[in-house]
Amino acid sequence: MSAILKVENVSKVYQLGQTNTGTLKKDLHRWWAVNVQKKEDPFAIESYPNNTQSDTLWALKDISFEVNQGDILGIVGSNGSGKSTLLKILSRIVRPTSGTVRGKGKVNSLLEIGTGFNWDLTGRENIFISGYFLGMKKQEIQQCFDEIVAFSGVERFIDTPVKHYSSGMYMRLAFSVAAHLEPDILIVDEVLAVGDAEFQTKCLKKMEEASHLQGRTILFVSHDAQVVSNLCHKALWLDKGEIRENGETQRVVDCYLASLKEKEVAQVRPENAESTIQVKSMAVTALGKSQDQVILVHDPIEIQIELSCFTEGFNIEVGLALNTQDGTCVFDLGSPTIKAEVGEIYYTMQIPEDLLNAHKYTISLMIHKSNAPAILEFKNLTTFEIQDFRERLSYFGSRQGIIRPRVQVELLAKMKRTNKNPL
Amino acid sequence: MDNKDKQKMAEWSITARTQWWGRDWKEIWNYQNLLFGLVQREFLLYYKQTLLGPIWMLLQPILTLLIYLAVFGKLVGISTGTIPPILFYLSGIILWNFFSEGFSGTSKIFQDNIQLFSKVYFPRIILPLSVLFVQGLRFLIQFTFLIILIGGYVLFNDLSINFNAGTFSIPVIILFTGVMGLAFGICCSLLTAKYRDLGNIIPTGIRLLMFLTPVIYPVSGTPENLRWLVFWNPLTPLFEAFKFALLGEGTFTMVQLSYSMICAFVFLLIGFASFNKHGDNLIDVV
Repeated sequence: MSAILKVENVSKVYQLGQTNTGTLKKDLHRWWAVNVQKKEDPFAIESYPNNTQSDTLWALKDISFEVNQGDILGIVGSNGSGKSTLLKILSRIVRPTSGTVRGKGKVNSLLEIGTGFNWDLTGRENIFISGYFLGMKKQEIQQCFDEIVAFSGVERFIDTPVKHYSSGMYMRLAFSVAAHLEPDILIVDEVLAVGDAEFQTKCLKKMEEASHLQGRTILFVSHDAQVVSNLCHKALWLDKGEIRENGETQRVVDCYLASLKEKEVAQVRPENAESTIQVKSMAVTALGKSQDQVILVHDPIEIQIELSCFTEGFNIEVGLALNTQDGTCVFDLGSPTIKAEVGEIYYTMQIPEDLLNAHKYTISLMIHKSNAPAILEFKNLTTFEIQDFRERLSYFGSRQGIIRPRVQVELLAKMKRTNKNPL
Repeated sequence: MDNKDKQKMAEWSITARTQWWGRDWKEIWNYQNLLFGLVQREFLLYYKQTLLGPIWMLLQPILTLLIYLAVFGKLVGISTGTIPPILFYLSGIILWNFFSEGFSGTSKIFQDNIQLFSKVYFPRIILPLSVLFVQGLRFLIQFTFLIILIGGYVLFNDLSINFNAGTFSIPVIILFTGVMGLAFGICCSLLTAKYRDLGNIIPTGIRLLMFLTPVIYPVSGTPENLRWLVFWNPLTPLFEAFKFALLGEGTFTMVQLSYSMICAFVFLLIGFASFNKHGDNLIDVV
């Protein structure tokens, strides 16, 4: 196992702001200084003290890593972490500002589905032209043409202009061309986010096969931690243009998810206009685990609420509603009524294990005061995410539904039908 | 097999430095399928959903011809020498279209294809080349039509054409006209990508240039004291030579023709080198 791809100290700097007369002035100034006066470039990147310069953005900062042949490397990171920039540099679309990338063999990148597709051309014509764009030869395309068409499942429409295709068909055809590439290194951006679950599974299987059987190296960027942990041998976590973690998939993905969780739980609003009662803190954790650990589907979940009360002489009842991200209420519950006293009030609630599916949930709090009509409502006070970590299964997609109880499934009998159907 | 494997696993590297001459010519050769695929696509798209289809390729210069005949021939009354006006205008129009379409097509290459450039790697020079090839093919079709028309004139209108040594130089003249369009185009494409202003100037510039080029008038018809202005334009000797070789009338000297060819060559070198050097970095700016 040797390194097929070596990234050495790669950085990428973008100039912020608009291209205008200022740019021309700078360009002329630079040209004059470098070519006529033979001085150093006054606007060279090195001359910037560091990234405090307001009109530059370090999309990548001193990135170094290696990928071995036959590996599937998953790259995770939140938006703006430099994932796409890295892929663009590796696939030779943009140049790094400094640093070197060394590699062996043919590289193909899928940063977008349907690159080079033309609306007015037929499926057949588009297969060829987009294949050419991806560096395939005419012969190669002709050889696997039937396979491509079969994989995409659009046989009937192959001579129809793609503008009449449904978006699903378009995606399937576009991906099928790419799936039949035979590079040594394949670079895949989040193109799989589109398409139906069945097709996604098919594509992921094809990718795993390619790596497993043909020793192909794959770099795969995804937001979906589940897919990365199922598919990839190694993972790389980029954060604000720098590598935070690099190595064994499960560890990297766990770190990445934990970092997301920190941000989310810290969202409790400390101040409220109401001076009688305040929500001091609220925490959602897996029972018996610390704040920064990931909540899994099989963990019982504990919700801790801390209220501060400033006046007396009324009764309090706390209601809690658990919602999905799109606002559907999963359930709501109420606390027993208590008499308010100046001081702190603590609540804890437990959601049993194997109840909620792997999703993001938000919690809203309602505080009822008995002798006042006012209801304090804290909408979307906290967001938390439940992760689904299953063993390697053949199914890569995520389970549907809001709840996911543990259902006993038993196979009672398996009978082979011998005589023909009487109908 | 072993050898093939080694070849397949060729090593490469990506650095911040771009080169003026480091172009991997073999790579361009490997992408020839893309080049011809693009040419084919342009032709396919040209007549998709049209009623007349490929006939438009001939109809366009003919319509222009009719306008020129009416405006410059009848209204303004520019003399075309001994050449029948139809042949004079048509030969000028098709050669001019070849140049100007190649020029304006390549000058917009970055803006028109940014979607492609930012998503997939291929040798960028393939796209300007495909524009040249498309225009070249279109020109050849129109040129064939012109030859047939000249044949008709010779047969039925007693037009006498002297075949001279120049006749054999026609392919060279056509080649250099195309190269000139490509060269101007790539030079401008780099600038228009960064400074959009130029994109607005180029169409106007091309129209102005047409009046400085003997498309609708023969050089022999220009006033002596202004002739230097026309000959300063490197396209002039090419157009005059084209008409001389085809129709037997044109004013140019070998020195002037050499000047044009050197111009085309130098601009092509500058264009290619700058495209190599700056093309990759422009993706960040467009």
